[in-house]
Amino acid sequence: MTKGPYLFDEFFSSDMNESLSPFLTSSSKWYSKNLQLRASLIAAVALALAFALSFFHKPLSSFFLVIVYFFAGTKAFIDTIEDIRNFEINIDVLMTLAAFLSVLIDSALEGGLLLVLFSLSGAMEQVVERKSQSALYKLRQITPNFAYVLAERGNVYEKSIREIEIGTKIVIRPGDVIPLDGVVRQGTSFVNLVHLTGESEPISKKEGDLLQAGSRNLDGSLVVEVLKTSAESTLSRIIKLINEAQETKPRVQKVLDRFSRVYAITIICLSFFFMLVLPFLLHITFTGHEGSIYRGLAFLIAASPCAIIIATPTAYLSAISACAKKGILLKGGVSLDAIAKCTMIAFDKTGTLTTGNLTCTEFKKIYGDSCDEKEALSIAATLEHYANHPIAKAITTYAAEKEILLHDISSAKVVAGYGLEGKVSIQGKVQQVFIGNPDYIIPKISPAAAKALQAAIAATPFPICTLLIHSSIFLFVFVDELRPHILQTMDSLRKEHHMQVLMLTGDHEKSAKEVATHAHIDKVYYELKPEDKLRIVSELAITHSLAMVGDGINDAPALAQATVGISMGQIGSDTAIDASDIVLLKDDLSLIAWVYSKAKKTISIVKQNLSLALGVICLVTTPALLGFIPLWLAVILHEGGTVIVGLNSLRLLKK
Amino acid sequence: MEKGSHYQHFDGKSPLEHLKAARKKGLLASESVHGVEPSGAIIAAADSAREAAVFLTLLTVAFTFLQIPHQLCLLLLFSSMLFIWKTCRSALWGWSRLEKIHRLISQEKWEIEHHREQEKEELLELYQAKGFKDKQLEEVVEVLMADDNRLLQVMLEEELGLSLGSFEHPLRQCIGAGIGVLVGAAACVAGFWLYHLTGTLLSASLILVIATLVAAKQIGNEKIKSLIWALANAAVSLALPYFLLKALQG
Repeated sequence: MTKGPYLFDEFFSSDMNESLSPFLTSSSKWYSKNLQLRASLIAAVALALAFALSFFHKPLSSFFLVIVYFFAGTKAFIDTIEDIRNFEINIDVLMTLAAFLSVLIDSALEGGLLLVLFSLSGAMEQVVERKSQSALYKLRQITPNFAYVLAERGNVYEKSIREIEIGTKIVIRPGDVIPLDGVVRQGTSFVNLVHLTGESEPISKKEGDLLQAGSRNLDGSLVVEVLKTSAESTLSRIIKLINEAQETKPRVQKVLDRFSRVYAITIICLSFFFMLVLPFLLHITFTGHEGSIYRGLAFLIAASPCAIIIATPTAYLSAISACAKKGILLKGGVSLDAIAKCTMIAFDKTGTLTTGNLTCTEFKKIYGDSCDEKEALSIAATLEHYANHPIAKAITTYAAEKEILLHDISSAKVVAGYGLEGKVSIQGKVQQVFIGNPDYIIPKISPAAAKALQAAIAATPFPICTLLIHSSIFLFVFVDELRPHILQTMDSLRKEHHMQVLMLTGDHEKSAKEVATHAHIDKVYYELKPEDKLRIVSELAITHSLAMVGDGINDAPALAQATVGISMGQIGSDTAIDASDIVLLKDDLSLIAWVYSKAKKTISIVKQNLSLALGVICLVTTPALLGFIPLWLAVILHEGGTVIVGLNSLRLLKK
Repeated sequence: MEKGSHYQHFDGKSPLEHLKAARKKGLLASESVHGVEPSGAIIAAADSAREAAVFLTLLTVAFTFLQIPHQLCLLLLFSSMLFIWKTCRSALWGWSRLEKIHRLISQEKWEIEHHREQEKEELLELYQAKGFKDKQLEEVVEVLMADDNRLLQVMLEEELGLSLGSFEHPLRQCIGAGIGVLVGAAACVAGFWLYHLTGTLLSASLILVIATLVAAKQIGNEKIKSLIWALANAAVSLALPYFLLKALQG
């Protein structure tokens, strides 16, 4: 038996990928990685050897061709049999058929080349797609499997969240992720919604407050009454929304599949038709080098869409590779198609337009005169050294910038969910000091002071923190910083690419409009829940093609539903990254304009490639069928077209 | 009607009978298609070396009695054929085994998600058999049922008798098999090159002894017993063509 429970989630979310098999020894899992790519490369080497040897040693060349067909053809052949059994005639079937039939007309090398290219393209697609296959794994990873149920007489035991019913009381310890939606019945604590919303500011939770599954409990212990079962929790709802959005997405893929099916069936039928009919039309025999079967096979090979097959993936792979060098991860070529047609772009606020890091912008006294601001700041900074959250960091940084020295402080302690308290000596007198959220301070101050504090809170749209020293009250105001170069990015998107720029945020009106004005945003939607964002994005994606840029789990459904979802690789939650189509690995928003240009260029090159590939097929197939073009020339023209298409695609590698 | 037969999941069996059937299924899945070849590159190498030695000795006997020309070339050709065949077959067996085990794990996961009560009953039977009783038994089962990952692992290991992280990758196993054939074939061909049939017989015997001892050590079987059985098996296999061919020659 192995130590501790094995985590099967990744294995199942990868559709039981062999390299993640829980049964394989850890040292041998390496053998499964990129297996198809490695087999394709072996086949490519064998093909090169077969080609070189074909000029002076036929038997050895044939041996290497057998190796090629073994490594590149066996899987293709099995897949083809499966496709035929399921009545799915597609380009894959046509390619395999053409490759294997080419052996019969003594063109096994061309068939081998077809198989190797086919296998390489499949392997490359597999490598790229694997990144998006585990779309929901990360989200499931943060979802606890079980909760600590509070039983009678204070006993606590583990229970699977599937079996926990509404009304059950569960215990949440510091550091735990909240497993189910519920209401706090006992205790106070700060919770962090960074996984759900991208907000790094800790939120105080006390008796009667609601808690969402997926948020992280920071400091205190809580007893929570479950309000929703695991199937209805916030996290499960988000998973469901992402699933639905992802299933409705790949329209482009469906069109390509439909085309490939029609094309493959047509070419196969035409080949057999010509094999049967040509002897009667052109008075030729069925067999022999001038016979109809020979010409029918030549037609099938000439019409095999080798260039068409590589026209699209090589262009997209080159663009994907160029993007990767710039720090942009694209999940497949469809993302480029999608962004190229976007006329509108929507940004989330916190963590996307802003850095998510709080900066203290203002510190002022709002009531009393028992302590001056410099000394108060020194006391606040000293107290906040005992805490570890963004507000504490912002206050200590602010004090350091002002070159404020720390104060002597005693009996400092953290009050979970509220703030901190301690004792300081001011003008020879020991005073009790408190710092934290207004709910913590208001019960400790006079009605007049409370009124002044509430007025100050109402006047600012930004996060605040309150400091109480004897009867004096001080207020810290924080802002979430805008990302660098945001104005140039917005101007480039609007002026050069003619895109309409929007902002979708869960924040309240004041704060949202403040950021929108600074960032030159055309239109703002505020106070939105994840489902509101999803609704707006769905509506806009129908009328316009919309790109959505976000970072939090709450953005994930909208990212999946948008024409193209763009997430932030560093600050972004794993779920948002998985749900999106494009990931900005360095969180650099200015790259959006660059990737937009690259996508436009990719589409243009794909069009050129397809025109060339189709042109070659049209030019070669008919003369080959009529016997005007010998087979060797047909193959050279066909493969020549393939090479030109490949080289054209490589132009996209340029940064 | 027995309690277990209420559940479609148990196929009309009691939980205990179901457990026995599940363990049998797990054992079958962990075996190779041909039998009980344990997973492991070293064992695959030993097995392949033995097979190569016996096969090439049989060929040498036939070539010698039938006086076929180019015997060394033919032995080399058959060796290379055997190398490809054994290597690929070992990989295919490995993948077949992995595929079967993956089907089982997927089925067990489905059962955990859709038949929790029955899984609980199976756990109760399992841990009752291990000596747990009353409240202690209930607590153990509750803890195991709390986490799906833990439950799946327990069901795989206890119900189906499958061990996690204990199988080698088919490619690694096939590399072992390939090395085994190479060693076995090289020894036999070298023996033939030096002393013809006698050389092959000596080399094959040596390979047989070494490979059997290595395999016995890996599996944990008694070495002397394994060795005698392997030699006896080889002797019978070789005796048949040897004496028949001799009889044919008159």
